Parts: sequence; structure tokens; C-alpha cells
Amino acid sequence: MWNSLPGFGTGVLYAVLVAAAYTFAVAVAAGRGQPRLLESARRGAYATAALVALGVAILAYAFVTHDFRVRYVTHYSDRSMPTSYLLTSLWGGQDGSLLWWSFLLSCYTTACVFWLKGKYRQLQPYVIATLMVIMGFFAILMLFAANPFEANVSGARLDGEGLNPLLQNYWMVIHPPSLYTGFVGCSVPFSFAVAALVTGRLDNEWIVAVRKWMLFAWMFLSIGNVLGMAWAYEELGWGGYWAWDPVENAACLPWFAASAYVHSTMIQERRGMLKIWNVVLITITFLLTIFGTFLTRAGLISSVHAFAQSDIGIFFLWFMALIAATSVGLIVWRLPQLRSRGQIEAVLSREAAFVVNNWLLMGIASFILVATIFPRISEWLWKETITVGPPFFNRWIAPLGLMLLFLMGLGPLFGWRKTSGVSLRRAAAFPASIAAVVAVLHLSFGRKLGFPAFVPEDAFYPGIAGILLQKIGSAAPLATITLVAFNFAVVAQEFFRGTSARRKKYGDEGVFTALLHTVEKSRRRYGGYIVHLGVGLMFMGFCGRAWEIEHEATLSPGQVHVIGEYTLTYRGPRMEVDPAKRMIFADLDVERNGQSLGRVSPARFIYTKGSQPTTEIGLLRGFRDDLYMVVGNMDPQTKKATLRFHVNPLVSWVWMGVLVLLSGAGVSLWPEVKLREVGVWGVVRASVGAATSVMFAIMLSASSARATTGQERAPSTRPSFGGTDPRPLDFTPLAALGVGAAVAGTSLFRRRTPRPR
Amino acid sequence: MIDSRRLLTLAPAWGVPLVVATALVVGAFSGLAPALLTLASGALLGAVTLLWSSLGRLTGESPLTLEEAVGLGAPSPEEERKRSILRALKDLEYERSVGKISEEDFAELSVRYRAEAKELLRALEQELAPRRREAEARLALRLKKDASSGGKKKSRRSKEGTKTRPEGKRANVSAAAEDSMDGKADAETTDADADAPPAASSADAPRPTCPSCDTPNDADARFCKRCGATLGAPATEAK
Repeated sequence: MWNSLPGFGTGVLYAVLVAAAYTFAVAVAAGRGQPRLLESARRGAYATAALVALGVAILAYAFVTHDFRVRYVTHYSDRSMPTSYLLTSLWGGQDGSLLWWSFLLSCYTTACVFWLKGKYRQLQPYVIATLMVIMGFFAILMLFAANPFEANVSGARLDGEGLNPLLQNYWMVIHPPSLYTGFVGCSVPFSFAVAALVTGRLDNEWIVAVRKWMLFAWMFLSIGNVLGMAWAYEELGWGGYWAWDPVENAACLPWFAASAYVHSTMIQERRGMLKIWNVVLITITFLLTIFGTFLTRAGLISSVHAFAQSDIGIFFLWFMALIAATSVGLIVWRLPQLRSRGQIEAVLSREAAFVVNNWLLMGIASFILVATIFPRISEWLWKETITVGPPFFNRWIAPLGLMLLFLMGLGPLFGWRKTSGVSLRRAAAFPASIAAVVAVLHLSFGRKLGFPAFVPEDAFYPGIAGILLQKIGSAAPLATITLVAFNFAVVAQEFFRGTSARRKKYGDEGVFTALLHTVEKSRRRYGGYIVHLGVGLMFMGFCGRAWEIEHEATLSPGQVHVIGEYTLTYRGPRMEVDPAKRMIFADLDVERNGQSLGRVSPARFIYTKGSQPTTEIGLLRGFRDDLYMVVGNMDPQTKKATLRFHVNPLVSWVWMGVLVLLSGAGVSLWPEVKLREVGVWGVVRASVGAATSVMFAIMLSASSARATTGQERAPSTRPSFGGTDPRPLDFTPLAALGVGAAVAGTSLFRRRTPRPR
Repeated sequence: MIDSRRLLTLAPAWGVPLVVATALVVGAFSGLAPALLTLASGALLGAVTLLWSSLGRLTGESPLTLEEAVGLGAPSPEEERKRSILRALKDLEYERSVGKISEEDFAELSVRYRAEAKELLRALEQELAPRRREAEARLALRLKKDASSGGKKKSRRSKEGTKTRPEGKRANVSAAAEDSMDGKADAETTDADADAPPAASSADAPRPTCPSCDTPNDADARFCKRCGATLGAPATEAK
């Protein structure tokens, strides 16, 4: 092995392909009348997963031992990198990221096969077979297009080229793995959908099986996308967190489809309806994950995220075509069984609301998809490349987002089958009143507080469409805050009604006990409501962009600049050096309303290894707004610095909203059956809870600590909300840990209830 | 003597923690690279073992284990349909308690779901009864054969730790059969109905109380919905 590690690694990839093919064949045989072969297929799946793990371990070994015989190791590491970044380089490049994808798929396959055990024995063979097809595709991809074990043509080099300095940070450790966990997780529900179509068992069996897998994948899609947002906010230095970059768009598309699915599935469970919708949504979700990967690698659209252009795209195209053709064929074949027994009886019903929800979410996803690939479409149609940028997306997404926010609040008010006008008015009375009060308060006091209800926007288009978009954009802040209040009131009402109903039945329960039991009895419902709360908070954070302030100034040492409520005094440049880079800081003292908030030091890092300099932002977070600073040029003679300042209102609510969203997902993931039957889920949930909370605690703690960069720590970096407040964001990591510990503890130590005999 | 078949069966369970623990120990003493090699070795060994085991089952060399045999009785579509109806009933109770569904709609849906659930339970019972009888008859025959084959074989089976004590085995089979076929349904029924008020259609009929656990049950119930005890003469069937 030591003389031919590249060869051995490639051999392992061939073994993965062979094992996947073998397992596929055995699984299909097991499904076609030889059930005893199922155990054989299960072990084959485990073996395939073990081979992928072997490949990852070998590649990791090559990185750690600086084995520069391997081309991938040479490209993405060097001898000066610390071990953590060496291991991070596993997914730093295209080839390794494909192996990492396969590894995550093998983890999911192992977990799924283990969980299946004696369950869903009719579906199991085809679930395993589908997972092996996906595994086989990635093995083929690695073997014939992007082999992470390919040897250097020129032999072993003395040192490698190193990982891009932009990627040498803790975000690279957590963002790609979590996003990939979400992407790859969609393979399991898709496999169940294929199995249900093949076997014809299209009632609720597969829907129930898939429920928590899809929710788990959706949760990690949320985490992965938000970590990407946080990374962009803290590293790219343009002042925002979402630039509608093609790869960002491709990453959020499966989230929309998965969100539509997790709602739509409830209709099938309750009424046996929307079966076609559900299989289509799961197929689209999976296809979009493959499409997202394709977009990142094929060079179809230029992007800051894109891997180097390669000929790997054709493999993805063929695979997507295979998936689409197989899925469409199966759906058409099973159409008679997929047609629902019931029908929507009234427009004012939960079923109708969910159908509208499906259309809206898929509509948003379609809009983003078409706009993302529009350069290629325009090139094909008009022989001219037309790119659509952030202003286009921001204008059009506002009305779509408002519709979604409205529907999110209205949906829970509907009952099944039909809701009379009277009962809808009764249900909506309280939330509508709260929304109206909030709207009036916003109109009356918004401007005084610095958050005016209307923010004029320029017309983006000529004509009626342009005028309409302009008006909606101008009113978006008021509409968003009003609808967020509406949503909060709806959720509070639902909790209140559920708790009251429980206390009516069990008069001896206190409020808190009744609330706990109410949530425990209907975890999915109340977990969903908590998710809605989180989404509402995120919308609040998004709407803060309407009030952002941006300045650019060139300052000499001692010069003062005022932006919003902040007064900044530039003290001068400061340089520090380490083995990898030279760091030039611009020190600024920050005051707000006369009160010192400490020193912030945005910087430029100039790396020894010759890549272009990077900007390191200076950031002061707060509940009300963030003060965000970027330094451009600094003149060594005059010590003048060109600085860009942003005041970003309400950004922190995006991150708070995500924490709440994840808490809701965690509540929904709790089991509704006895722990004995879902032991593995207890461990998985505990792990998810702990991992999520630790990850967010690290992210948020490190983000809080980045209020000043460099070695000098500001004497006080209190957030800007209120002069005497403690540092509320310092509690956020503890809160995240607390949530994770609660989920972990409850999962592991849930009391077993003896089964009745 | 170690049973290689049992070893292969248990390998996935103990192999991963053992390899990880060994890698951690090696890593603590020798560094990350040897730890990764340990993991790689464990993965390779695991892959070979699992493939060998898989091929063994493919060629029929490995006998069917009890768990596999029980698991072959896959839940039927009727079983799954019954579970979904029980879940729907639970949701219906909630919707009614918070006022999202009218009494009229609740009564209609509740009766419809309960009637369908009863039909499914009846059908499942009818389908499973002869198979259960056959399974118990085969087990009795096998136990008789084992008992008559002598002390030596009995002690060897005890050492191997397979289906040893006849009473325990009988109980395990019954319990396992119930687990896979009915036990989950009972638990689901308990979960779904434990807090449910009686159906509107039987609201006027007297509700029997369980002699074991004092739980009020539906008028037409024959078995307690919480503990499964027999309630005595069935009440009038609801429409």
C-alpha cells in the first residue's frame, strides 16, 4: 500500500462500484419474490458503506502524512497547514467533495438499513436498490471524471499548493458538511418514494416511513444554507448575507421543495389526497440536490463558489435524465393508484391552503431556478448572455415572500374538509387584531424609532409591472412587520387553545404541565408552529435591509465619521505578522449616543503564498442593528484608510430565527412511538441535538468574539442596543447549548412506558 | 467454540465501536496518522466480513434466524391503513378540542374512521389467526423433537445460546409475533384513543369500565383500550 497509495485508493473506489452493483442486484432479487435475500442485500449495503469509509480514511491519511503523490492532496494542502484544515481539505476540492458526498450517503444508507431492520419489508429491497444506484453513480463519477486518488503525473512533490486562504476558516469546517448532509439526506426519502412506486404500496406506509428522514434532511438544508449566509456575511465583506449567487440559489432550491413536501404529506396522511403531489415533490427535491451539485461543478454558470470548470457536467446531466425518466415512468405507470379517493370540498379548508402552499413554494423555487440559469437560456434563445443580478431577485422575491408569510399565518386557522366563514372569522379575530395594532404602531412610531413603515424605492421596470413592484417594495417593511405579528399571534393562539383544551379535560394540570403535555402529544404540529415562529423572525431580519445605511469614506488618523447613531474615530493602521500572512488593521473607536462601545479593527490579510489579499470585517452585533466595517486601501505614508461602513438593522434576528426554527424541527423529530422501537432514533436525535447546538455555539461565540479582529480585544464590545444592557448575544451560545442538551437529554432518558398486554 | 455465524451476525454491532475505540487509543499514543490507518483497517476488515456474510446468505449457507423469520411477516397494507386511521382519529380529537372542526363533521368522520378501523381489525384477525395457530403447532412439534433428542444436544444448544429454553422460546415467539403483527397496533390504539372521549354515535350507550385499570371504554368495546383486558359481554355495535 505504501508504494501505491493512489492505486490502492482507486482500487477501493472500484470496490465500491462493484459492491454497490452487487447489492443492487441482490436487493432487486429480494424484492422480486426472494425475501430471504433481503438480509444479504442489507449486509451488502453495510459493506459498501464500509468501503467508502475506507476510501475516506485513506484520503485523510494521505492529507495528514502530506502524501504529495496524490494530485488532490498536492492541490489542496501544504506542509504549513494545521491538522484541522488538512482534514477540512477532504471536501475543499471537487474530487474530495464527491468522496465526501459518497461518505455521507454511506452514513445515511447505514442508518436507514439499520433503522429498517424488520420494518417495511416490502419496500426495503427497493429502498436499498435505489440507494445503491446513487452510490454507484458517485463511484462512476469519481472513477472516470474526478478521481480524488489520481496520482501526480510528475511524481511526489516536496510541498503542496495549499488550501485557498479564503477557505481556511472555521466556516469551511462546518458549512459544506452540514449543507451536504442536507443534500444527501434527500436520497433516503427519494428511495422510499421509488420503492413505493415500484411495489405499488402507495398508501400511507411510505409517507410515514419518510416523514422524519425528510425532516432531518430539511433541518440540515436549513442549517447549511444559514451557515453559508453567515459565512458570506462575515467573510466576503460586501455587507450582506445573500447575493443571489447561482450556487447559493441552487442550495436553497431543494429547501423550498422539501418545505412544500413536509406540509403536503399531512394531507395524504389525513385524507389520502395529494399522492401525486407528494411523489413529485420528493422527486423534485432529490433532483434539485443533484442539480445543485451539478451547478457548482459543471461551470454552467459562473459563481464565486464554482469549482474549476471540468467535463464532469455530462455525467450529472445523464444521471438527472435517468432519475427524471425513471420517476416519470413510474408515476405514469402508477397513476391509477395515485389518484386520490377524496377531493377538496371547500376553498376555505386546510387541504386547499396546503395546495396553494405547494404552488407558492414551488413557484418561488421555479422563479429562482429560471432566473439562475437565465444566462444559459438567453444564450440558447437569443444568442446573447443576459445575467440577472441581486436587484432583480430582491424586487421580485419581496411580493412572493409576503404571500408566503401571509399563507403561513393563515394556514393553521383552517380546519380539515371545510371551515365556515364564521369559524374562520372567529379564529382570525385575535391575530388580525394584533396585526392591526402593530401596523398602527409601526405607522405612528416607526419613523421616530428609525424604522419607517414605508421606504421609497426606485422603479425597476417601466410600465405597470414596474410601478406595482415599486409600490410593493416601498410598503414591504410595513407589510412584513404586520404579517410577522400576525404569525406570532396565530402561533400563540394555537398554543393557548391546545393548552386550554387539555386543561378542560385534565383539570388538575397546571398551565405549564398542560402546555408540555399538549406539545408532547402532538409534537409534529407544535414543532411546526415553532418553526413558523422562527421563519417569522427571519423575515423580520430580512426586512431590516430596507433600513440599511451605507457610507464610504477616506479617513486620516484622528478623523471622525458619523453613520446613523454611531460615531467612529479612526486611530490609525497597525500591522502584525505571522508565518502565513501579514495583517494590516485599521483601528476605530466606536461610540453610540455618546457611550463608548469599544474598538473595532477591520483588516486586510496579505498571504505569503501569493493569493490575493482578503478583507476581514469589523463587526459589532446588536438586536437592533449591526455595525459592519470593511477597510479597503491603506496608504503607508499618509496612513489614510478607505473604509466602507454599513449599519444593518435587525440582521441578528435572522440568526435568532434560525435557532428557533431548529428548535421547532427538533421538537417535531421527537418520536411518537415507544423508545424501544426507535432506539436508534433516540441516539440520532441526541447526536443531532448535541451537534447542532455545539456547532451553533461555536459559530455564534466566534462571531461575537469577532467584534474585533486581531490580537487586541476591545475593552467593551457591547452590542448597540441600549447602553446598559448586558451582552445579550453572549447568551445565545448558551441557549443553543441548552436547546441541544434538552433535546439530547430527553431523547436519551425518555421514560419507557410498559406495553399493555 | 465460537460460532462464526453468530460472530458475523453480531459484527456490525460490536465492530464499529471496537474499531473506533482502538483508533482513539492508537491516536492518543501514536498520533492521527496511525489512528486513521486503524480506522482504514477496521473499515476494510468490516467490508470483507460483511461481504462474506452477505454471500453466505445469498448462497443459503446461513440458516434463517428467528428475528428474520418473524420479520418476514411484513405488515400488510391493511395494517398500515389501520395505523393511519388511528393517527387520523387522534388528530380528529385534537381538532375538535380546539374548535377547528364542527361537531357534525367530527361525528361523521369519527364514525367513518372507527367503522373502517373495526373492519380492518376484523380482517387482520381473520387473516392472522390460522397462521398463528400453524406457527404455534410447528413450534410445539419442534419443542417436542428437541426435548426427545436427549440431554447432550440440549446442553450444546444452551452453550451456543440459540433458541434454548423452550418456555422462553415459546414466550419469545408469541411475544415477537405479537410485536410484529399486533402489539404495535395495540400500542397505537392506546396512544390514539387513550385520551379520546367516546365517539359521538355511542355517546348515549353506557360505557364499560375496565376491571383492571378502571379506564372508561367505548360502549361497543370488547377489550380495554389501555391494558387490553377483556371487558365481558360486548355492548351494542355502533352504526
